[in-house]
Amino acid sequence: MTIDLNILIGGAAGQGVHSISAPLGKALVRHGAHVFTIQDYQSRIRGGHLFNVIRVSDAPLSSPRLGVDILVALNQETLDLHREEVSPEGIVIYDASQVKETPEGIKSLALSPDTVLPDTEAGDIAVNAGACGAILGLVNVPVAGLVSLLEETFGAKGEEVVGWNRQAAQNGHKMGKDKGHPFSLADIAKPAQPRLLIAGHEAMALGALAAGLNFISGYPMTPWTSLFTAVSQRALEWGVVVEQAEDEIAAMGMAVGASFAGARAMTGTSGGGFCLMTETVGLAAMTETPLVCVVAMRPGPSTGLPTRTSQGDLEFVLFAGQDDSPRALLAPGTPAQGYALTVKAFDLAERYQIPVFILTDQFFADSQVTCTAKDFPAVKVESAVVFGPSEGAYERYAITESGVSPRRLPGFGPELVVADSDEHTPDGHLTEDLEVRIAMHDKRLRKLKGLVQELDGVTVAGREDAGLTLLCWGSSFGPVKETLDRLQQENTPVRMVHLSELWPFPKDAVTKALQNAEKIIGVEGNATGQLNRLLRQETGITADRLILKYDGRPFTPEYILRELKGQI
Amino acid sequence: MLPIEMYQGIESAWCPGCGNFPMLKAFKQALAELEIRPENILVVSGIGQSSKFPHYVKCNTFNSIHGRGLPAATGCRLANPNLTVVVTAGDGDQYGEGGNHLLATFRRNPDITLVVHNNQVYGLTKGQASPTSEQGYQTPIQPKGVPYPPLHGLALAVAQDCSWVGRGFAGMVDHLKELYKQAINHRGLALLEVLQPCVTFNKVNTFKWYQERVYKVEESPDYDPENELWAYQKAKEWGPRIPIGVIYKNPRPIFEESFAVLAEGPLARQEIERPISKLLEDFY
Repeated sequence: MTIDLNILIGGAAGQGVHSISAPLGKALVRHGAHVFTIQDYQSRIRGGHLFNVIRVSDAPLSSPRLGVDILVALNQETLDLHREEVSPEGIVIYDASQVKETPEGIKSLALSPDTVLPDTEAGDIAVNAGACGAILGLVNVPVAGLVSLLEETFGAKGEEVVGWNRQAAQNGHKMGKDKGHPFSLADIAKPAQPRLLIAGHEAMALGALAAGLNFISGYPMTPWTSLFTAVSQRALEWGVVVEQAEDEIAAMGMAVGASFAGARAMTGTSGGGFCLMTETVGLAAMTETPLVCVVAMRPGPSTGLPTRTSQGDLEFVLFAGQDDSPRALLAPGTPAQGYALTVKAFDLAERYQIPVFILTDQFFADSQVTCTAKDFPAVKVESAVVFGPSEGAYERYAITESGVSPRRLPGFGPELVVADSDEHTPDGHLTEDLEVRIAMHDKRLRKLKGLVQELDGVTVAGREDAGLTLLCWGSSFGPVKETLDRLQQENTPVRMVHLSELWPFPKDAVTKALQNAEKIIGVEGNATGQLNRLLRQETGITADRLILKYDGRPFTPEYILRELKGQI
Repeated sequence: MLPIEMYQGIESAWCPGCGNFPMLKAFKQALAELEIRPENILVVSGIGQSSKFPHYVKCNTFNSIHGRGLPAATGCRLANPNLTVVVTAGDGDQYGEGGNHLLATFRRNPDITLVVHNNQVYGLTKGQASPTSEQGYQTPIQPKGVPYPPLHGLALAVAQDCSWVGRGFAGMVDHLKELYKQAINHRGLALLEVLQPCVTFNKVNTFKWYQERVYKVEESPDYDPENELWAYQKAKEWGPRIPIGVIYKNPRPIFEESFAVLAEGPLARQEIERPISKLLEDFY
């Protein structure tokens, strides 16, 4: 990595932070750079302080890092909060119509509607497109790519708006260029295959669509909403039934009903929404109805920090619901895993007739990562539903060795499909015959035996002979991976083990990955080490030490390295 | 007309003399007369004595959880619009636990027949007050009586533009059968509340109590079920006289029509082909 540039764009909600970072990130990827972005925002519609960070490099990126090289301040607060983070050779671009104090002791570039697009009514557009252009000017990247992106994005808004964007980008680019090139991306080579910039929840939306999703119901709640939106925006094109339910209880109830009647159904929520869904977890398990449910974690308990990140609901989702009930639990760490595991979730739900949960969080959901088409392999959709005439009387819950009974749909033949949340006989009718109860409960739980054979999700990286193993799961993959890379560059041997398939716990694969580890340090985004407890429960192995973070912000390599001091 | 024996379900666990029995008889007769075969009907229920109903009819069944029949049934309709979907719920199930779903379903207007068994008491849990228990009705939990007035489900339905609203009485089987038929034939949400005495726990609102009060509203000289204000007055009428019959008819587009994909039939029958290269286009 010869280039590692951090661009922070901050302002009040509604000022256009996303209007700058979205086209900028894309333009840089089209130019050939590797980009990793994060979003940091508060639970409000207008005002407050939010920022996006765009990290740019000539090498692949998997994590955010600390420090700022280019600070774009759309208001005074951004400057006050982030000025200290700017590196000595860095530069501040600021909206001079909003920022009253000129930044001292650092290179700066003032933009305002009057200087970027004088004598127009372009307003914020001038500053937003102007800042985009200025950044490209500063890093010595031609403006043409940005201009065509802005034309694509704003084409529907009419020639005047497109013209303002085009002109502002060009004028801003010139203003940036005139500052010289403190950071140059001019030498970055264009990749042979075009790359794409995609966020975790977007990748999961594509996974769901590729896996044949045709029904989604949900209730808006941050950070789950971005996935619900990403699917809904594509629903008309691909024939997906979308319903915003009256509450999370109905959202999951509808998804279970739709699945029972033959849809490939998904729902999802966050924190408190999953509290409401809990009763339906049992219903899906008891009626043996396939269901994919995404739980986008956020810090709690209760409402907690609505827009921040957390890995604190692992145990909640693992144990939610009455009695013992079969389920699978997946937790992707990258957009590519998000895509693949969503596809896998639909497949497992369909074949095992169980609820499958995917745990994400705000960091995973909103962070954009540079990927290639190879990260998104084609999918063949396969249904496990039985059609056509049956031999003999059909029993929805026929006792089988695998625990999986042939699944039919109501209304597709003379076979009646009877499902019940009460304990039931093989033909689906409620019963209080306790022998039947034992047989049915055993049958449902037997599914886990087949299921665990299909799970692995263990990623191992680093040196096999390293004394130290970092153990993590879900969205912490990237920051831990970069920590490993940095340590290896300093010739410090270290290993990492990342888990993305958590239940039924892949004991054999995890034991194999950890059995020779001298010292294990768990890295988790919660206060008590929930994965470590699960690890101990399932394998008897336990981490020697935990690095935990529960302030609502994602891990950075700097944080992990600081915590590791004295441990290596 | 299909043979009524075709709808014979499993043996019931209701109390002898329960108001659910005449409802079961009327429902099966309605299905037989409408010639809806067991495999083409799906009965969804929640939890309560009323929710055992689909087990006692031969049909496709989804016996869900307390109060949640409507969301599950709505999902079923959105996956397969060819299914005739009936929800059976109790007064506690639908007006209490499932209240929010009732409000939202009035707005959605899916093609579902919602039958609320109203006996003004909780039977399955042994005699507590329900949302429709009379003010002053004494229970083991409220020995001094329920302190507030009952919920008027039908008035709520009229006020929220439910597209078909009616009330039946378990003591008048033929009249009830006709209501079932109309409700099932109605395209859109039909709320049919059925007065259905609980012979074990409700010693106030008995068969005799209802018999003395109910009257066929369609025989009123001012019968006008397409008039919202008239319907509202009838839906609120509860006292010495209680109307039964079709109270409100308000035809409007059904929820399922808002999804173009459902015009092509059940989702399970549709080919799904979504090339990943096309899905990725937005992200370059």
